Amino acid sequence: MRTLLARFSSVSAVLLAVLAPLAHGEEVLYLYIWNSYLSEDTVRRFEAHCHCRVNQDFYSDNEEMLAKLEAGASGYDLLVPTGNAVEALLRQQALRPLDKQKLPNLKNVKARFRDPWYDPGMRYAVPYATTLTLLGYNATKLAELGLPTDTWALIFEPRYLEKLKGKVTVLNSQRELMAAAMKYLGYSVQETDPARWAEAKRLILRAKPYWATFSNSTYIKDLAIGNIWVAHGYSSDMYRAQQDAREAKRPFSIDFRLPKEGAVLAVDSFVLHKGGSRPDLAHQFINFMLDGANAADGSNLIGAGNPNAAATEHIVPEIAGNPGIFPPPDDLQRLEMLRDFDPKTRRILSRMWTEIKVR
Amino acid sequence: MTEKRRHQVSQRDAPTRWLVSLPPTLFLLVFFLAPALLMIGASFQQPGDFGGLAPAWQNGQLNLSLETYHFFFGDWIYAEIFFRSFLVAAATTLICLLLAYPLALAIAGSARRHRHLLVLLVILPFASNFLIRVYAWIILLGPADLLYTPFAVIAGMVYVHLPFMVLPLYTNLDRHDLALLEAAQDLGAGTWTRFRRITLPLSLPGIWAGSALVFIPVLGMFAIPELLGGTRDILVGNLIKEQFLDNRDWPLGSTLSIVLTAAVLLLAALSALVGRPRRSAP
Repeated sequence: MRTLLARFSSVSAVLLAVLAPLAHGEEVLYLYIWNSYLSEDTVRRFEAHCHCRVNQDFYSDNEEMLAKLEAGASGYDLLVPTGNAVEALLRQQALRPLDKQKLPNLKNVKARFRDPWYDPGMRYAVPYATTLTLLGYNATKLAELGLPTDTWALIFEPRYLEKLKGKVTVLNSQRELMAAAMKYLGYSVQETDPARWAEAKRLILRAKPYWATFSNSTYIKDLAIGNIWVAHGYSSDMYRAQQDAREAKRPFSIDFRLPKEGAVLAVDSFVLHKGGSRPDLAHQFINFMLDGANAADGSNLIGAGNPNAAATEHIVPEIAGNPGIFPPPDDLQRLEMLRDFDPKTRRILSRMWTEIKVR
Repeated sequence: MTEKRRHQVSQRDAPTRWLVSLPPTLFLLVFFLAPALLMIGASFQQPGDFGGLAPAWQNGQLNLSLETYHFFFGDWIYAEIFFRSFLVAAATTLICLLLAYPLALAIAGSARRHRHLLVLLVILPFASNFLIRVYAWIILLGPADLLYTPFAVIAGMVYVHLPFMVLPLYTNLDRHDLALLEAAQDLGAGTWTRFRRITLPLSLPGIWAGSALVFIPVLGMFAIPELLGGTRDILVGNLIKEQFLDNRDWPLGSTLSIVLTAAVLLLAALSALVGRPRRSAP
C-alpha cells in the first residue's frame, strides 16, 4: 500500500511539474543570441511586462549559430544574426516575415539602418546593435612607447611592431583579419582579386612573427590584466576590457579607437526563425526592445552601438561620445559590412588562411 | 574446469552474452558508424552556397565528386599540419609516459590503505571543468612569458592527459606478482635488471593502453592550441573545427576528419597488434 502510494505521489509530482506551467499559463520565449549581448536587467523588465519567461541560448559566432541551425537546432523564436548571416538565413528561407502592425516602435530605427542590402525596408530583420572591428590598446603603455593608435599600421608595420613583439593579438577569423589588411592597403573588404589577396597575405606574414597569437575571446582578459598591449577585436569586447581594468584598479587604462583607414561594421538584428512557435511573443519582445529606454541598455550596459534614434537621449554621455562605439559621420563613410563569399572563394581563402597559420 | 565443460558453459551463455552486448553495439552503430558514414558521404558533396551541403542530386544528375580529396592531397600544407599534429601527440605521449611511470610505480608500491586516496588524487582534477583548468594555465604562463608558445601547448596537453596514462599503468603495475621480483633478487638481479627484465615487459600492455588513451585524444584536440598556442600552433583539430564553424566548408572538414580517423584506426590496430599479450612465456 505504501509503495503504491509512493508511486502515485511521484507520478503526480512529475505530472504536476509538466502541467504546472500550462495551468499557470506560463509562456516562454526562446531566444538564441550572442553571449553577453542582452543585460539581465532588460530581460527581467520584459518578463514582468509580458508575464512570460525568456529562455536564452548563446553563441559566440554567426557561423556557429548557422552551423547549429543547419544541423537541426530548432525551437528558437528569435535569433540575432549579423547582416551576412541574415542573408544566409533568408536564402535558406528560414525566416518569418515581420508583422509591422505589431511593431509600432519600428519608427525609432535610424534612417540609415532601414535599407540594408540583405533586407531593404526591414521586412525580416530589425537592427538591434552595432559593433566595430577595431584596435583596443593599453593606452598608458602605448603613450610611453610613443606609438600611434589610429592606424592599422600598428599591427601590420614592423617599425611599430618591433616595440610590441609578443604583445599583440589579432582575431582568429580569416574574414576579419583579411578585412583589416585590405582596409590598410586601401581596398574593399569584399576584394576578391587574387593579386590583392596575395598582397594582403604578404603583409600578414611579414607582421605575424611579432604577434602573440590569434585570439577571438581571450584578448579581453589579456588586455585587462596587461598581458598584451594591442588587440584586434570587437568594440563591445574592448569596452568590457576597459571596464574590467578600471574595476580591478589596474595601473593602466584600456582604450579603443577606429583606425583611420576604415574598418568592418557589424549590424546585428532580431529576426524571427520559422522553427519558433511564439511569433506573438517574439513581436512583443522586439517592440519592447525598440522602445528608446530599453534600446539604450544595449549601449549603456554592453557598450554596443545603437541603431535606435529614440535611445540616444537615454545613453550616458561617456558612451554616446565614444567614437569607438558611435563613430562620427566622417568615420562612418569608411566602414564596410562583410558580405559572404561563394563556396569556391571561401575555400581558396581558407587555403590561404591555413598557409598563413602554418608559416 | 576441463576444456569440455568450459566449452559447454560458454555455449549456453552465448545468447545472454549477445543480449548483454547488444546495447553497446547498437550505441556504437548509431553514434559512431552512422556519423562516420554521413561524413564519408559529405566528403564527396559540394559545400552549399550559404552553409551546409549542396544537394547530392541536382538538376537530374548526381552532384558528387572527388574534388575535395584532390584539393586535400594536391597540397603539402594539410599534410604538414597532420605531420605536426602527430609530432605533438607523440611528444605529449612520451612526456606523459615518463612522468606517469614513476608515479604509477609509487602508487602501486605504497601501503594498500593509501592507494585509493592516491588514485583519487590523480583523478581529482577532473572534478573541475576542463576549460577552466586550461584558463588557469593562461594565468600561470602569462607572467613567465611562456604563454602562446609551443611549450604552452605541450604543457597543457600533458597536464590534461596525464591521468589517462597513470590509471592504466597503475592498474597494470598493481597486479604484478611480487614473488617474481623477490625470486629475481634472490638470484642476484640488481634493481635496474629487475625493472628491465621483469617490471617493464610485464607492464607493456599498460603502456600501450595509456599511450593510446593519450595519443588519440591529443591528435583531435583543438581547445588547448587555440587557448595556449601562438601564431604557428595550428593542429589538425583546429583545422577541422575551422572548416565547420568558421568557413562553412563541410566537405573539406569531412575529408580532414576521415583522413584523421583512418590514421588513428591504423595506429590503434598497430598498437593492438604490438601490445597483444604473448601466448607463450619467454
